[in-house]
Amino acid sequence: MNWKDIRVLYVREVVSAMRERTIVTNSILIPLLLYPLLIWLMYTGFSFVSGQNEELTSRVMLKNLPAFHDALRSTIQSEGSIVIVAAADPAADIRTGSLDALIEFVPVNDGASTLENNFRARITYDESRDRSDQARGRLIESVSKYRQDFIERQALRFGVSGAELQGFLLESENVSSGRQMGQFVLGLLIPILLIVMLSVGGFYPAIDSTAGERENSTWETIMSTATSRSNVMMAKYLYVATMSFVAGLLNLVAMIFSMSSLLGPLTRPGMPNFTFRIPMESVPVIVAGAAFLSLFIAAGMMILASFARTYKEGQSMIAPFHIALMLPVLFLQGPGIQFTPGLAMIPVLNVVVMIREAIQGVYRWPLIGITLAVELLCILGALRVATMVLRHEDFVMGTYSGSFGRFARERLLGRKP
Amino acid sequence: MSYPVLVRGLTKTFYDESRGEIRAVDGIDFECGEGEIFGLLGANGAGKTTTLRMLSTILTPTSGSAAILNHDVVRDPEGVRKHLGFYSAGTALYPRLTARETIEFFARINQYPSSRVPERVRYLVDRFGISKYADVRVEKLSTGMKQKVSLARTVAHDPPIIIFDEPTVGLDVLNALEAQQTIKELRDEGKTIIFSTHIMSEAERLCDRIAIIHGGRILDCDTLAGLREKTGKHYLEDIFVQYAGRPAE
Repeated sequence: MNWKDIRVLYVREVVSAMRERTIVTNSILIPLLLYPLLIWLMYTGFSFVSGQNEELTSRVMLKNLPAFHDALRSTIQSEGSIVIVAAADPAADIRTGSLDALIEFVPVNDGASTLENNFRARITYDESRDRSDQARGRLIESVSKYRQDFIERQALRFGVSGAELQGFLLESENVSSGRQMGQFVLGLLIPILLIVMLSVGGFYPAIDSTAGERENSTWETIMSTATSRSNVMMAKYLYVATMSFVAGLLNLVAMIFSMSSLLGPLTRPGMPNFTFRIPMESVPVIVAGAAFLSLFIAAGMMILASFARTYKEGQSMIAPFHIALMLPVLFLQGPGIQFTPGLAMIPVLNVVVMIREAIQGVYRWPLIGITLAVELLCILGALRVATMVLRHEDFVMGTYSGSFGRFARERLLGRKP
Repeated sequence: MSYPVLVRGLTKTFYDESRGEIRAVDGIDFECGEGEIFGLLGANGAGKTTTLRMLSTILTPTSGSAAILNHDVVRDPEGVRKHLGFYSAGTALYPRLTARETIEFFARINQYPSSRVPERVRYLVDRFGISKYADVRVEKLSTGMKQKVSLARTVAHDPPIIIFDEPTVGLDVLNALEAQQTIKELRDEGKTIIFSTHIMSEAERLCDRIAIIHGGRILDCDTLAGLREKTGKHYLEDIFVQYAGRPAE
């Protein structure tokens, strides 16, 4: 290896890449601007949907409201968004959409009731219609408010508190702090997004530096220069890995600055005050994981893309690898998955779980060591395959017409076509 | 006598799934002297490009030997490429680099002394008349402009030996004549030039010696005058037909 030559070749690759719109968009702009864009889209969407919903009035029917509770009618009517209507066949009207909900009051006649004028309210609605579901929500809110006032008044009559009157109450307490809950949520989200971005970041550079060279007829030009082919391939490899890593890193920075704004509005009232902040002490582990993964992704993508002669062929050859990276991450990294020595042996997934634990403040160094060693072995394995492929002249000249799979079967495993 | 380019028994066979083994170049011998334009004249598929690709170490010979300034193409390919400029229809330019960046890149990667690269780039920009568009990206240049930049990048590292594989293919008459003029000038500077073409008039105008290649074999190699004398024909086209029309032995 001649590192001076590799530097010259690497700089050439990067300069060219920075002038290609697709690469700049996918490796820099999307990772950096994805989250601000998502925040903007989310707030715009929320504002639009809530604005639309607020404009709609809910048409509801009250049935058999006891005279004693007539004040409930006033409570419901005081909600500007609810209109009380009458219907001959409310169930049919709800199905056809001309009525949104029916609230029916049924006396409690189980003989055990000690409260006078007690009743059960049953709401009929159509959950498949947004407007009907919204009417149900508004009714529950009004009736609950009325119910709470009613219980307080009854309790006062008996000389007890409202809570005491309700008897056996079930309560739960979450001992996690808002910061810990935030880290739990981030631990599930960030590793997946990071791997998606590492893969997206390396995708076009891998094609551009291999199939792109063949399509532009610059492959032979570079092969006739006074440097070794291994220097050329090493520079290309480092360039693809850099673009992948940069995409992942920019994405991480964007996540650090935008996760609070992005996830904050999704928390419900009553939830702890979530803090969506990536702990700084986890950053070295995340960066190490991202670096190893980008080197692995770059090697895999370049081997596959090297068999393509055009950009389109390159895309179709890399796409399965891109999907193969995503599938285990999407299906196997649920919150229940534990970081065990066995899991630390599974490439890609091990990095996901390692980063997840680091974000949650857990650092199991032996498992982190196994993970990085496994990734290193994968990188070395991929580079070994690349070296074996490079020995074949027709591959170097781009005259071999076939995929990596066929090449591996025929040339590397020695099986007859 | 030591020749800058020495080729002995050079052979290249390919395997094709449908046609089986193909002997693209079949044991050819030739040598080129210093400051000479040596022409490889042959029809399409005669073996010219394969021969030149072996000389430039892009392809490895199946057998035989070739040396550039005593650097063997198999044992020391980087040494060969350092002393060689290779230009062919298949060697395009990087579209997103400017003309100036292109020349600089090829000077550096072909081991031209780093400290002298800026001076060399300035010289080539002036010499090839590309100063007006030196900072324009190659993808925005016309075919003629790209041709000049290509010639400049081929000699960016000032190689003593230059290979031109069908350099005027796809060029209009004026650009082709300009390319021919450049090749002559390079010869006059003492460069050894190997030039392949299937255009007879080009070979007549440029080459000091011509090798007629057909079916992977060199049928004869001589000066134009020598070939005329051997065949009794005046025009190179007739000379070529006389050789190539004969079945290869």
